[in-house]
Amino acid sequence: MILGVFLATLFAGLAIGLPVAFALIFCGIVLMSWMGIFNPQIVSQQMVSGANTFTLLAIPFFLLAGELMNAGGLSRRIVDFAVACVGHLRGGLGYVAVIAAVVMASLSGSAAADSAALAAILIPMMKSAGYHVPRSAGLMAAGGVIAPVIPPSIAFIIFGVAANVSITALFLGGIVPGLLMALALIAAWAVVSGRDAVAPLPRQSARERGKAALRAAWALVMPVIILGGIRFGVFTPTEAAVVAAVYALFVGMFVYRELRLRDLYGVFLNAAKMTAVVLFLVSAALVTSWLITRANIPAELTRFLSPVIDRPRLLMLVIVLLLLLVGMVLDLAPTILILSPVLMPVIGAAGIDPVYFGIIFVMTCCIGLLTPPVGVVLNVVSGVARVPLGQVVFGVFPFLIAQVCVLLLLIAIPELVTVPLDALR
Amino acid sequence: MVVLQRIGGLLVRLVEVVLVLLLAGMVAMVFVNVVLRYGFNSGLTISEEMSRYFFVWLTFLGAALAFRDHAHVGVETFVRWLGPRGRLICVALSNAIILLCAVVLIWGTWRQHAINASMTAPVVGISMIWVYGVTYVTGLAIGVMALGRFLLALAGRVSEAEMARITGDYGPDGAGRAE
Amino acid sequence: AAEIQTRTITVSNGVAETHPVGNGVEAMRECMAERTDGKWTLNAFWSGALGGDLDATQALRSGTQEMVITSTSPLVGIEPALGVFDLPFLFSSAEEADAVLDGEFGAMMSEKLEASGLVNLAWWENGFRNLTNSVRPITRLEDFAGLRVRVMQNNIFLDTFQTLGANPTPMAFGEVFTALETKAIDAQENPFVTIDTSKFYEVQDYVSNTQHAYTPFMVLFSKPIFDTYSPEEQQILRDCAIIGRDVQRRVSRELSQQSLENIQAAGMEYNELDLAEMERIREAVAGVYERHAATIGQDVIDQMMAELARIRGQ
Ligand code: NA
Ligand code: NA
Repeated sequence: MILGVFLATLFAGLAIGLPVAFALIFCGIVLMSWMGIFNPQIVSQQMVSGANTFTLLAIPFFLLAGELMNAGGLSRRIVDFAVACVGHLRGGLGYVAVIAAVVMASLSGSAAADSAALAAILIPMMKSAGYHVPRSAGLMAAGGVIAPVIPPSIAFIIFGVAANVSITALFLGGIVPGLLMALALIAAWAVVSGRDAVAPLPRQSARERGKAALRAAWALVMPVIILGGIRFGVFTPTEAAVVAAVYALFVGMFVYRELRLRDLYGVFLNAAKMTAVVLFLVSAALVTSWLITRANIPAELTRFLSPVIDRPRLLMLVIVLLLLLVGMVLDLAPTILILSPVLMPVIGAAGIDPVYFGIIFVMTCCIGLLTPPVGVVLNVVSGVARVPLGQVVFGVFPFLIAQVCVLLLLIAIPELVTVPLDALR
Repeated sequence: MVVLQRIGGLLVRLVEVVLVLLLAGMVAMVFVNVVLRYGFNSGLTISEEMSRYFFVWLTFLGAALAFRDHAHVGVETFVRWLGPRGRLICVALSNAIILLCAVVLIWGTWRQHAINASMTAPVVGISMIWVYGVTYVTGLAIGVMALGRFLLALAGRVSEAEMARITGDYGPDGAGRAE
Repeated sequence: AAEIQTRTITVSNGVAETHPVGNGVEAMRECMAERTDGKWTLNAFWSGALGGDLDATQALRSGTQEMVITSTSPLVGIEPALGVFDLPFLFSSAEEADAVLDGEFGAMMSEKLEASGLVNLAWWENGFRNLTNSVRPITRLEDFAGLRVRVMQNNIFLDTFQTLGANPTPMAFGEVFTALETKAIDAQENPFVTIDTSKFYEVQDYVSNTQHAYTPFMVLFSKPIFDTYSPEEQQILRDCAIIGRDVQRRVSRELSQQSLENIQAAGMEYNELDLAEMERIREAVAGVYERHAATIGQDVIDQMMAELARIRGQ
C-alpha cells in the first residue's frame, strides 16, 4: 500500500513537470503524512546528512576532472587517436565513437558528460560523411552509458555508499562488463550501419597513428593513475578522484596548454553547478529512502520474493526486469538510493555476491538512461546533436537491444563478472 | 525594478564566486592531505571534516542557483502533449509544490535549529548550525523564486526558459538548455 | 493495564544484527512483549540502514525516531563530558567499567544527557579497543612511531595517537576497509568483535592487545517521545534495557574471546604487551588527560578518578 502511495505521488509529480528532486521531496512529505509521522525535521535533517558524506566527495572531483579534460583538449585528442586507428574502416566513425567512448569512460564517471562530449565532436563529422544522423546520435547515447560501468564511476560510488559495498571492488569488477557492452555496440553497429552509403576516411600511415597516439598519451595515462592508484593501494577512491582532477588540470595547462588560468573559473563553476544538481537529487532521494526503509518495505519485499530466493538467476532476472521498468521513469542516482536499501536484504538472503549485484544493478540503471520517457542521456544527445528526441529514441533502439543482451548474458553466466574480478583483486 | 535586477545579478555573481571557492577549497584540502601523507607522513586533521562541510554548502547553494537556471532535471514528455492552458496549469502547480517543499525545508531547519546549534563538529569545533543551517538559505532562495513563478503563472505569464525546461522544446540552437 | 498503549518503537544501530547488541535487543524485545502483553513492537534497523548513529541521535533529539544504540565517542559534539570515556587507559578491566557505569558516575552522565533531549536507558558495552596494523607487532612505545592510524572523528583519539608518535587520520568507518586494503593507512583500532565482523583480518597482519580505550554503548531514547509515555511505560523501557544489558554484556565478553580466536585462525599475529611497557605507554599519554580537561570538564574527570580510586580500594 505504502509503495503504491509512493509511486502514485512520484508519477503525478513527474507528469506535471516537477523536477525529479522536488518530486522526491514531495513524495517524502506525502509518505510521512501517510505513515502518521509528519515532521518537517525529517526532511531538513535527511537532506543535509546525505551530502555530509566524505566518500561522495569523489563525485565533484570526478566531475571536475571531466570538465578539465574537455576544456583542456584531452577529449579531442582521444577522438583523433581513435580516428587514426579505425577511421578508414567501413562504418569507421561508428567504431571511432565506441573506442572513444571506452577511453573516455575510463577517465570520467558521468554518462551525460561523456555522451555530450562524444556527440559534440563526432555528430558533425558523421553528418557530413553521410551517416544516418538519428542512428549515429543513438550510438553516442548508448556509448555514453558505458561511462558509469567502466571505472571511475559516480554510480558505483553512490551504490557503494548506499549499500556499504567496497567501491574498489565495484570499480575493478566493472571493467569486463563495460568492455562487453562496447563489443555489443560494435556488433550492433556493424549490422545496422551497412546500409549507409558512406565514403570511408583515408587510411592513415603508421607514422601518423604513432603521432596521434603520442598526442593522446597524456590522456591515456590517466586511467592507469586512477585504477593503478586504487588497485595498488596508493589512494582511496575519493583521493584518486582528486588526483585525477589535479592531473587533468596539469596536462591541460602545462602540456597541451589549451587551458588558460582565466578559463579555470568557468570550468570550476561548471563542475560546481553539476555537482549541486547531482547531490541535491541524492539528498532528496535520501528523504524518500529513509521513509521507505522505516516503513519496513525491504522486509516485505524479501517475503514477497521468497519463492525465488533460492534460485539466484531467476531472482536476478526478476529484479532486472523490475529495474528496467523503474529505469523508464527514474534517473540513475535516485534509483540506486531508493532501491539499494530495499534490495540489499533480498540479495543477502539469496547469497548473491553484493559486488556482482551492484554491477548488474548499475548496468541496468544505465540502460534506463536510454529508455523513454525519462532518459537523461537521450535528452542530452538530442540537445547537443540537434536531433528531435523521438528520432534519437528510434536511433538508439538497436543499441539498447544489444546492451540488454549483454545484461542477460551476465545473468546467465555470472562468472563473466566474478572470475575477472577475482583475478584483478 | 532595474535596481532590483542589478542586486539580483550581483547576488548571483557572489554565489558563483563562493561555489568556485568551495570546490577549489575541497580540492586543495583533500589533495594536500594525499601529498602530506606520502611526502611527509603527516596530514591535516581538519581536512576530512572541513571538506565535507564545504561539500554541503556547495550542494545546497548550488541547488538554489540551479533552480534559478532551470537546471534541475525533470520529465518533459507529458507536459508536451498539453495545450497552452494545460501547460500554464502545470507550471503553476509545480511551483506551488516546490514552494511547499521550500517551506517544509525552512520549517524543519527552524525546528531543529537549537539541536544543531548545540552540537559542535568533533574536530574543528564549530557549531553544526553553520553546516545544517545552509538549508535556510536554500529554502528561502528557492521558495521566493517559486512563489514568483507561481504568481506569474497565475497571471498567465511563464518565462521562455521555464517553458523550455518543462516541455523540452528548446530553440533550434538548443538555447535555454542548461547542459 | 490501561496505562500501556499500542506502540511501535524504532531502534537503529550501526552494527550488524549478529553483533552482541543483537542479543541485547532480542532480550529487550522479549521483555517488552511480556510486560506489555505484546502491545509494543520493537522495530530494529541494523548496519546503519537508517543512517549513522550521530544522525540517528539528532533524530532522537528532534523526536523523529524513538531509540538508538550508539557508542559515546561520536556524541562528544552534543555532550562534551562524554569525552571522558575516550581518555586513554581509563579502565583496566570490564568489571571496573561495569562498576563505574552502573553506579553513581553513570547516573550522573545520564542526567547530563537529559539536558540534550536524550534519555539513557542503560549502559551496554562496545568493549576494549585494540590496535591492528600491517607493519609490525606493537610491543613497545616506539612501535607506534609513524604508523598511519585511522581514528574516529574525535580530538582525544587524535591527540592520544599523535602523542604516541603515530600519524592519526580521522576517517568515516565505511572507508576504513578500503583504506586498509589499499594501504592508504596502516592501522586501525577497534574491539576484537568489530575486527572480526568487519573482516579486517583480510587486510591487516598484526593485532596487539593495547586495550587503550573502553567504549560503552548507550541505549538512548528520545526525550520528547519519552515524556509522552506514562510512568509505567517509562519504567518498562528502563527495566527492559537493563535486562538487555545483562545479556548483551555476557554475549559481548564471550564473543570477544571467540573473535580473538577467529582472527588468529584467519592468520593475524597476536601479541600482548608486557606490564612495564604498558606503564611506559600510559605515562607517555598522561598529558592527554590535562589537555582535554577543559573540554570534558575538570569536575567530571575528578569524579571519575575518585570513583575509580574507590573501586580500586586505594
Ligand atoms: Na567511467
Ligand atoms: Na529511462
